[in-house]
Amino acid sequence: MARKKPKLIKERVPTIERPAEERVHDFKEVNLGYTFELAVKEAERCLQCPAEYAPCIKGCPVHIDIPGFISKLVEYRDNPDKAVKEALNVIWACNSLPATTGRVCPQEDQCEKNCVMGKVGDKVNIGKLERFVADYAREKGIDDELLFEIVPSIEKKGQSVAIIGAGPAGLTAAGELAKDGYDVTIYEALHEPGGVLMYGIPEFRLPKDIVEKEIDKLRKLGVKILTDHIVGKTVTIEELLQEYDAVFIGSGAGTPRLVRAPGVNLNGIYTANEFLTRVNLMKAYLFPQYDTPVKVGKKVVVIGAGNTAMDAARSARRFGAEVTIAYRRGEEDVSARVEEVAHAKEEGVKFVYFVNPAEFIGDENGNVKAVKFEKMRPLEERDARGKRKIEGTGEYVTLEADTVIIAIGKHPNRLIINTPGLEVDRRGKIVVDENLMTSIPGVFAGGDAIRGEATVILAMGDGRRAAKAIHEYLTKKREEKANA
Amino acid sequence: MGYEILDKKELAMNEVLYKVHAPHVARKVRPGQFVIIRAFPTGERIPLTPIKWDREEGWIELVTFVRGKTTMRMANELRPGDELLNVAGPLGNPAPMKKFGRILAIGLITGMVEVFPIAKAWQEFGNDVTTLHVTPEPMTILKEDFERSVSRHIVESYQLQPGWGMNEIAQELVRRAVAKVRELLEGEHWDLVFIVGPAGGEKAVFEVVKEYGIPMEADLHPIMVDGTGMCGSCRILYDGEVKFACIDGPGFDAYKVDWDQLIHRVGFYADMERRALEEYLKSLRGSE
Ligand SMILES: Cc1cc2nc3c(=O)[nH]c(=O)nc-3n(C[C@H](O)[C@H](O)[C@H](O)COP(=O)(O)OP(=O)(O)OC[C@H]3O[C@@H](n4cnc5c(N)ncnc54)[C@H](O)[C@@H]3O)c2cc1C
Ligand SMILES: Cc1cc2nc3c(=O)[nH]c(=O)nc-3n(C[C@H](O)[C@H](O)[C@H](O)COP(=O)(O)OP(=O)(O)OC[C@H]3O[C@@H](n4cnc5c(N)ncnc54)[C@H](O)[C@@H]3O)c2cc1C
Ligand code: SF4
Ligand code: SF4
Ligand code: FES
Repeated sequence: MARKKPKLIKERVPTIERPAEERVHDFKEVNLGYTFELAVKEAERCLQCPAEYAPCIKGCPVHIDIPGFISKLVEYRDNPDKAVKEALNVIWACNSLPATTGRVCPQEDQCEKNCVMGKVGDKVNIGKLERFVADYAREKGIDDELLFEIVPSIEKKGQSVAIIGAGPAGLTAAGELAKDGYDVTIYEALHEPGGVLMYGIPEFRLPKDIVEKEIDKLRKLGVKILTDHIVGKTVTIEELLQEYDAVFIGSGAGTPRLVRAPGVNLNGIYTANEFLTRVNLMKAYLFPQYDTPVKVGKKVVVIGAGNTAMDAARSARRFGAEVTIAYRRGEEDVSARVEEVAHAKEEGVKFVYFVNPAEFIGDENGNVKAVKFEKMRPLEERDARGKRKIEGTGEYVTLEADTVIIAIGKHPNRLIINTPGLEVDRRGKIVVDENLMTSIPGVFAGGDAIRGEATVILAMGDGRRAAKAIHEYLTKKREEKANA
Repeated sequence: MGYEILDKKELAMNEVLYKVHAPHVARKVRPGQFVIIRAFPTGERIPLTPIKWDREEGWIELVTFVRGKTTMRMANELRPGDELLNVAGPLGNPAPMKKFGRILAIGLITGMVEVFPIAKAWQEFGNDVTTLHVTPEPMTILKEDFERSVSRHIVESYQLQPGWGMNEIAQELVRRAVAKVRELLEGEHWDLVFIVGPAGGEKAVFEVVKEYGIPMEADLHPIMVDGTGMCGSCRILYDGEVKFACIDGPGFDAYKVDWDQLIHRVGFYADMERRALEEYLKSLRGSE
């Protein structure tokens, strides 16, 4: 007989979610998260595995002390403010953007993947707890309080670092370096910092005021942000190296890949980047109060099945369109977060598998009206990423569409990788050593710029690692100078 | 952090010049490059071309042709001392600086302002540059600047007739441009033709130049959002391949451009642009 545990709560405490019929009419957030009481209830489910063993910590790319922060919620349950402050302090040791990661991490493949509770019931809802801590702290100003406790202890180093790109990689590196006492300036091409968090991931999944608040925090740490500055055009890396002691490239993977099929430039065919930028960054869903237009037809076909495809599909649904996701592989290989796929289905997005676009068909005005797909068939063999290989069948199927959104991936930003002396691989990814230093001494890189399309938390992890490496590099420089 | 408008003046009917403090652009910009600006918190990002700049003083001059909501709202609401919210750049590739020989540089309506820095630089580089401005009468601009900077400046202007709509204006523009270009190509030797204007006009002129087999470059104006190669809104079909005008252009070999596709793409939002303008005009009336 199994030993009786006093409190083994098998089922997850549910979070509050707005019903699909309601949310498909607006861009407000879908999941409303936990209240303090519910968070404590969920926190109590955690078995508090010892830190050296806890599989959740191993699964988190930045190794947050998960049982550590969860225990604070239970320990100080009578004093919510204190509970949250203590928990946030634990999280911040490894992750400076918890409101974001709690929402967008693929938890099912990371921290929650091997949670011990999974053996007896539902895994602990680590993502939503992390999000709760961050949200509560932000609403109550606890994050600022904690920040001000850290700030006065910063000792200025008298050296400066330029960061290229204000996405999660660049923002994290900037925050860490500022806390280490360096003068940090971020160069961002767009008019808003945030990277994909701002222009890609929609409001209904990651409200923009949260991202803005995170960026405010950096400003409070003394980080300077220069928007409208395109490195490679406004200023080159060589010039940055003359002005700064080190450079970090976090320019992401911004160049969209296009389907190589006839008709890809027809009107009504968007890359997911363009579609989402218009909708999120430029707020085209509020046209004509906002000036930027976007055209969403009655029948939308989204090509691809990653997070980007889900975001595009769900955004299109919010314009009232009938939306179909067309994917060349099968359901098992869909790479988006489980929660996004579930939400997309609830919201009425349809899925068609094993179809590969062969041709876009237009009308006499150059507008798309249909997509011709080749039907694919799965093979037994798997590719390097563990996905099933597929082959064409020679049979075709045509889907009507007056809007098509292509979401099949992205390449690193071209303006950066044309820098002389900067080594990149065949796919344009910047090559780095184990310290994330590029082929140019003093220039470091991380995030999607070195990985291709990856995740927010990996980009942040790189930002943190690079900050550490830059700190060591600059410390050596300082010492050399002192000895000279 | 905005970019102060140091001066604003109307150069001609519907042609407004803004002198803007933007040292980061002024330091670096070269003829042929552009910037993307945002003027209002709810506004669009629109590409514009610096026509003059001062690297030391840190300003650039932009000229807009008032045609839609953004350019009209800028003309109505911005004053010297106000700020543009964003000026990103310089973007795109500079025009190639080479000795071509005799160059005919054509500007259709406001396209002429974009010809200015390039034509001037080509002339200074040792080319013999003739500029041709095809435009309705009240919109003659930068005439003295051109006369000072290039070998010869020709203005082919015509009177707008009462009752003409956009279509008639465009048709007349094309008719005039084609006739004048043919006349110039017929009588003289040219090594390069360069053009900036609406896609339809550029294409019509190209058809003529093609008959003479003269090399031709065109600056293309597809609709842009970011201007950094991130969105693909500006994509064109060029020699059978997809190119992004913002990072591969804006200058292209006119012989390789799929003109019809460009014309279709540029017009994609015409109905929504009209609606935005109408609502704006309505709001003006409402506030009176
Ligand atoms: C629609 C969408 C949904 C996603 N959903 C998820 C999700 O749910 N979970 C998840 O973990 N990941 C998700 N991702 C992936 C994740 O967003 C990225 O892996 C992450 O943002 C990479 O961070 P980064 O800092 O490396 O680059 P980015 O976020 O791409 O930021 C790069 C920044 O650099 C700027 N820049 C580029 N070039 C220059 C230059 N030359 N000069 C100056 N600035 C420059 C860009 O404007 C941008 O702001 C999603 C991606 C997309 C597109
Ligand atoms: C590289 C480049 C350089 C340019 N330089 C100049 C310049 O120096 N002076 C000038 O007056 N105009 C220039 N333009 C065109 C300018 O961007 C449009 O005049 C402006 O966007 C019109 O905005 P609107 O709201 O007033 O008009 P709208 O009613 O929004 O649009 C009117 C027309 O302008 C064009 N347009 C609209 N939005 C965009 C956009 N985001 N990108 C490109 N074109 C658009 C379309 O053809 C559209 O049909 C340039 C365009 C490009 C691509
Ligand atoms: S950062 Fe992501 S992976 Fe790590 S604990 Fe938080 S949600 Fe899980
Ligand atoms: S593995 Fe699960 S139960 Fe164990 S500490 Fe982590 S969250 Fe708690
Ligand atoms: S304008 Fe976005 S890629 Fe050119």
